[in-house]
Amino acid sequence: MLKGIVLKVPSDDTVAEAVQTFVEKIGLVAGVSEEDVTGLSIAVMEVVKNAIEHGNGGDPKKHVTIYVDVFSGRLQFIIDDCGKWVPDSDLGHEPGEGEALISSRGRGVLIARNLARWLDYGLNSEGNTRATLIWPLS
Amino acid sequence: MKIKEEIKDGVMVIRLSGKVISGPDLMDLKGVFQTAVGNAEGNVLLDLGHVAWMDSSGLGVLVSGHTSLAREGGRMAILNATKKIHELFIITKLITIFETFTDEGEALSSLKE
Repeated sequence: MLKGIVLKVPSDDTVAEAVQTFVEKIGLVAGVSEEDVTGLSIAVMEVVKNAIEHGNGGDPKKHVTIYVDVFSGRLQFIIDDCGKWVPDSDLGHEPGEGEALISSRGRGVLIARNLARWLDYGLNSEGNTRATLIWPLS
Repeated sequence: MKIKEEIKDGVMVIRLSGKVISGPDLMDLKGVFQTAVGNAEGNVLLDLGHVAWMDSSGLGVLVSGHTSLAREGGRMAILNATKKIHELFIITKLITIFETFTDEGEALSSLKE
């Protein structure tokens, strides 16, 4: 059983590929199928990209920390950044209308929530933004 | 992601396969759309029949392409979106702005109108 895995990365777009590979490998080891593991990595990466951009303002000195645990029937990712942002008001979870609908941005949370069984946002013990993403395991 | 382009009946047909997600390939796709915007015909048929996954960055490129073409009087239509991609269009409401087709001949005829 995978427990207590922690990955801490700088807020730099160049780490994206490495994080994606990490998530896919964890997913496969945890029992996510080959067919679904891309969906898992897309969901987690949407959250990580938002943490880098909206939580840490793309500042490489600020880190995003990813905690991974496998429980019975579920794979859990906790993603902490250094910000205090609220996706519901800062990004919106529903697609926009009019000009917002044709924006080229702002769909990451929606996509991640649709792919994963569970995604919510709150605060960690330091008062910074924490995302919790649950992926079901069969 | 693999990108293939061809001109068919005066329409630029862009065929994508693989994963349309963040990465250098997306810059290539942006470049293809930029070429299409500058194209005399200005209409694009985007074949997604072999696209298994797409993330928000990939969607963003499609929306930018659609918007840029529309500004220049062109149109973009989607061909053969897979079930997963079609669902993505529904949850993001992009289905309300994208023209979608399952028959290439019908799509080309529509774009030539």
